[in-house]
Amino acid sequence: MPARISRGFKDISLSFRRHPVTNDLVVLKDESAIAKSVRNIVGTAFGEKPFDLNFGSPVAKILFEPFDPRIAASYSASIREVVQRNEPRVNVLNVFVEARPDSNALTIVIDYEIIGLSVPPQQVTYIAKSVR
Amino acid sequence: MPLAKFANLDFDQIKEQIKQYLKANSNFTDFDFEGSNFSVLIDVLAYNTYINSYNTNMVANEGFIDSATLRENVVSLARNIGYVPRSKRAAKATVSFIVDVSRASTPPLTLTLQEGIVAVSESFSGTNFIFSIPEKVTTAVVDGIAYFDNIEIYEGTFIKKAFTFDATTPENRFVLPNGNIDTSTLRVFVKDYQDSSFGRKYNHVETIINMTATSEVFLLQEIEDEKYELLFGDGIFGRALETGNVVEATYIITSGKAGNGVNNFTFSGRLRDNSDRVVTSGVGAITVNGRALGGDDIESVESIRKYAPRNYAAQNRCVTANDYAAIIPELFPETDSVSVYGGEDLDPPQYGKVFISIKPKNGNYISNFLKSEIQRKLKGYAVAGIIPTITDLKYLYIEADVSVYFDVSKAAGSSTSKSNVMAAIERYSDSAELNKFAGRFKFSRFLAAIDNSDPAVTSSYALIRMRRNLRPVTNAPADYEICFGNAIRVNNDVGYNVRSTAFKVSGVDGWCYFGDVPGQGAIDDDDQTEAVGRMVLFTLKSANEAQVVRDDIGTIDYERGEIKINPIIVSSTYISDQQPIIEFDAIPQSNDVVGKQDLYTLFDTEASEITMVPDRISSGEDAAASYFTPISSYHRNDQIVRGSVLVTTSSADTYIGFVNGKPYYGPYHTMPDGTIMTGAKHSDTAQVITKSKVAAAAPAVTNTPQQRVVQRDASVTLTTTVNRSDDNVSSTSNTTTTTATTTSTTSSGTSSGGGGGY
Repeated sequence: MPARISRGFKDISLSFRRHPVTNDLVVLKDESAIAKSVRNIVGTAFGEKPFDLNFGSPVAKILFEPFDPRIAASYSASIREVVQRNEPRVNVLNVFVEARPDSNALTIVIDYEIIGLSVPPQQVTYIAKSVR
Repeated sequence: MPLAKFANLDFDQIKEQIKQYLKANSNFTDFDFEGSNFSVLIDVLAYNTYINSYNTNMVANEGFIDSATLRENVVSLARNIGYVPRSKRAAKATVSFIVDVSRASTPPLTLTLQEGIVAVSESFSGTNFIFSIPEKVTTAVVDGIAYFDNIEIYEGTFIKKAFTFDATTPENRFVLPNGNIDTSTLRVFVKDYQDSSFGRKYNHVETIINMTATSEVFLLQEIEDEKYELLFGDGIFGRALETGNVVEATYIITSGKAGNGVNNFTFSGRLRDNSDRVVTSGVGAITVNGRALGGDDIESVESIRKYAPRNYAAQNRCVTANDYAAIIPELFPETDSVSVYGGEDLDPPQYGKVFISIKPKNGNYISNFLKSEIQRKLKGYAVAGIIPTITDLKYLYIEADVSVYFDVSKAAGSSTSKSNVMAAIERYSDSAELNKFAGRFKFSRFLAAIDNSDPAVTSSYALIRMRRNLRPVTNAPADYEICFGNAIRVNNDVGYNVRSTAFKVSGVDGWCYFGDVPGQGAIDDDDQTEAVGRMVLFTLKSANEAQVVRDDIGTIDYERGEIKINPIIVSSTYISDQQPIIEFDAIPQSNDVVGKQDLYTLFDTEASEITMVPDRISSGEDAAASYFTPISSYHRNDQIVRGSVLVTTSSADTYIGFVNGKPYYGPYHTMPDGTIMTGAKHSDTAQVITKSKVAAAAPAVTNTPQQRVVQRDASVTLTTTVNRSDDNVSSTSNTTTTTATTTSTTSSGTSSGGGGGY
């Protein structure tokens, strides 16, 4: 399979902060844009995106479920599948889900490589915390 | 920056359009990825556009009666053109009962049945319905008995609601708080003040025509949630209310259609005598004169959409045929379909008349009473000099003998496939192609419906018949005309292409049938069939052997599908559906049958037959088609009469016994003591028929378990055995098998001077 060559990625920042030099909106590029995208996928619950019930991840649901290593493996596979399905720019290498019962939180670590960009494998850490 | 045109109402398409726009106008590239931040912005934009487009579309749609979907908007738009949608209608039953007050210490002069509940039905479809009256009914007490005759009771609960008018309140509204109101039961009284015992009745009007400043009237309008609001006058159009006036509205809230058919009641009403004493005893059982009918749901949005503009176009006047079609459903809410045509369209023309046929929702015909009621009401709308005439609906029934080939290897069983075929035929028979005036039975569509009904069906064919029902005037001379409106196929040159069910004719013994004999007219050049023929009256000597008893009693035009019968006295008919009926059937020249002019086409599933034929070629059992016999595509002339075969046993060549020492072959009847006498009916001139040449004291024919005396009107299987004692030979006469009861009916009064097909 021939290697795909990316033309570079450029995304807007939802912080909507002003760039100190250009006075324009802050822009996310390449690996940071993709990292944000991965975080968005993991942080979106199913049904949250309008008219697209299959977009999102089960993290919000996991937070309130019982947790053991077997279930963690199942959730890892599930998160891996949704990231892979919704973000075609990455190849997911590993997903690690760890419960942090003391702080009512989950730590999700996603390792991936970016397709078409000559950058080292990336890692996104997402901490989901139950607030109620 | 060019503007994108958002013509779509689909979210995904709007989103795609935004992406297309960004592709050409932005430095950002990530809008294509669903997880990106830009995608979130695009979602927000698309959603906003979608909601705006949807709302704009809805607003535009709801602003026009043709496209509005919400009931209150449709009703509001109809209100603008003066149309008040029909409310629910309570089923009405007619009952009678007596109250015996003869034992009262002081017998009252009158008894009054109070408004409100009158009776409770026995369980009907799992529900006990309440029946009420909207107004009091008072009757005189005669010899200690009060007769409440033909009281109309309405299915539903009686409700009373009072409002106090206050002119200082900015908005006085008189909203009846209940849904499901039958507005025809609404009564409104206005009292001057709260404690006044006297209230003036206000009448419901639909227009302000003839309304004066003192008219005590109110208007009614439907508002949200299918509720109703009363509107009173303003002192210019209608009397205005004054502060302190109390408006009392009474009405019945009903279950509508669900109450149709109830016919058993238990009295639960309240009775008071002329001294205002409560009467609780002496109430007899309720006699039902007419079961509950006429219940209907509130007018549907589709109906409002259809009739409001027509009603407006008609302007409360009946000038064109469409005006009649628009106004009749208002006058008679049970109307399912209306056909109106001017007398000038008839052949020969009848100028100055408008002919109206109404198909009611319940049943096939409307009663003579309702006909005269509608005619009376129509006079208020019709142009002077035009006589509206309501005719009975003329149904053209279509019947089919369907043969269905099915692949036995695919079918779970022929019964499963057959039930699917039947369901498909039922669906077709309910379709909009039929069940209307100018309906057309489309043969190819019919077969397609059957072919697609089940995966196991490999092919099908149907033999089509058309049928008209004649409702004869009984015991009175009348001539008849039966129109099929479609050419009749001459299947048999000898005759009997038109078949009828059995009936009796004055002066003819036994059951008669109509038949035809082609050949009294010119040969049709196109298909070499006889264009016209004559009608004959015959009895049956055996199942397929006719004996013509009256020749040339009418004519038949095969091309036009028209039968004319000369004056004849029909005394009774074999078929009876509460009405005397003679059924005529014929094979149409074309398998596509059309209901022309006033003919209402109906597919009769009950009279149709389905035969399942295993298709052994498709299933592989007979791959070479060695044993396959195709079904005939033509009707066979296997039965010359329609319905039950009633053989006339007392034909002249059937030996009965001896009269005055001579053999007797004529008609006979049986007396209660078993004596057989001459003549079909008893008369002073009737003579005893004996079983021997010498008259004996014992009856000529005796009843034994094996021998049953013929009573020719009885609904039994009849076998007559006559013993001939003189030569000790036993002979069995013809056997007649009947399954229905003969009815002697009285004249319906619909067409005393001449009848027609119905």
